[in-house]
Amino acid sequence: MTEPRLAAMARSARSVARERAERARQARERAARRARRIRTAWWVVAAAPAFVALLVLIRVAIPDAPTGGADGDRQLSSAVIAALRPDPSLLDSVGRGQGVTPPTPIADQPPLTADGKPLVLYVGAEYCPFCASQRWPLAIALSRFGSFTGLTASRSARDDVYPNTATISFHGSTYVSEYLAFQGVELATNERQGRRYKPLDTLTPEQEAVVNTYNAPPYAAQAGSIPFLDFGNRFLQTGASVSPQLLAGLSHDEIAAEIVNNPDGPVAQAILGSANAFTAALCVLTDGQPGEVCDSPAAAAYQAEVGR
Amino acid sequence: MTEVARAGRSAPATRTAGLAAWAVPASLALALVGLGLSIYLTVEHYTAPGSLACPVGDAVDCAQVTTSAQSKFLRIPVAVLGIVHFATMLALCLPMLWRRMDRRLWQARLGVAGLGVLFVIYLIFAELFIIEAICLWCTAVHLVAFGLFAVVVLASAMADPSPFDKR
Repeated sequence: MTEPRLAAMARSARSVARERAERARQARERAARRARRIRTAWWVVAAAPAFVALLVLIRVAIPDAPTGGADGDRQLSSAVIAALRPDPSLLDSVGRGQGVTPPTPIADQPPLTADGKPLVLYVGAEYCPFCASQRWPLAIALSRFGSFTGLTASRSARDDVYPNTATISFHGSTYVSEYLAFQGVELATNERQGRRYKPLDTLTPEQEAVVNTYNAPPYAAQAGSIPFLDFGNRFLQTGASVSPQLLAGLSHDEIAAEIVNNPDGPVAQAILGSANAFTAALCVLTDGQPGEVCDSPAAAAYQAEVGR
Repeated sequence: MTEVARAGRSAPATRTAGLAAWAVPASLALALVGLGLSIYLTVEHYTAPGSLACPVGDAVDCAQVTTSAQSKFLRIPVAVLGIVHFATMLALCLPMLWRRMDRRLWQARLGVAGLGVLFVIYLIFAELFIIEAICLWCTAVHLVAFGLFAVVVLASAMADPSPFDKR
């Protein structure tokens, strides 16, 4: 073998060795990069649950400070008191109204009574925005058969949907009627107490029996939800008949003004229309008494739904 | 231009990523479970009767969570966002896409998984500090989103060769 050829072979062997060394170095670097990636990945994967665990620990450690509701003055203004007893012609003109979910008839149930009169049972809570919208038409309808004392101004919770919806509260009120009995139960205030709201009224065993039977399937889709209304075991209203969205941003007096002065507006259409639906149901309970209410166009608006 | 960069810009990448054997089945299974749970919660959201009602329940109360103000984000029900998230992840975790050495594709998969986990953390924060109630169905979705994120991150890191290798 000639010397130049031997030299060429030696150069080639050195070149192969260099390439191999380079490949080995690249493989080591790649392995090192991969190891770094995997370490980082484990840190990233662990960070998310660790952060959640920290949130849980903070939540457990923080004492439950009571947060006040948006109550303000609980005295009803004269405008609100007047709006709760609107002129009957206003109710007649609104008729069925708009955006109303009327109560559902139920058949063959033992009549619900108190003091020998058909009983209307309302169960709600002051924090609940759907109860807030429900009370307006209910109070208006019941005021056609009797009178309330002790109604107060209230608002739904400020930290729930439809916050601070202006309304009235049945807590501590009295209803007198020669035709009907009414029991309004407000289970809680709009003030936070821990993870719930501060308890207010308690259901009597009789009321609890009604709620357990009729505010549960098959009569209600979701057991125990509020507002719940039982019209003498003849009609049920589970959930609000009027959306609180209509009342968003309105004060008590602005709602009252809408009811009295703007009968074609969405607020009056919904509240007065719903009041007429309740009136039709109440007229079934009272056998059409009093005549000036139950024979009115307002009461006739939902005649088909209540089967009068 | 590196080979990876070229692979990322050119249409079908010719190299195949070296994946852990569990990456594809685990990610697909978790995306499917998450999608199923999100569909269930969406159906519940839209068909739940008595929607004009306040649920009265305990600290573990799905209705209180699914009817809360935080159940919507930019007016879109979060359950619907869950469907979008898991459907996207399902598409990104198909075997043919896992095997493609396309850096942007892998970044997109990591990004969508990460976005999901960030949103889940927000939802857990809302449950703990705003709604103050826990929904077990939602918690199941949260666990699936965390699991999917973990699978995607670890599988991406362990891939050898990987689209993230500098060459």
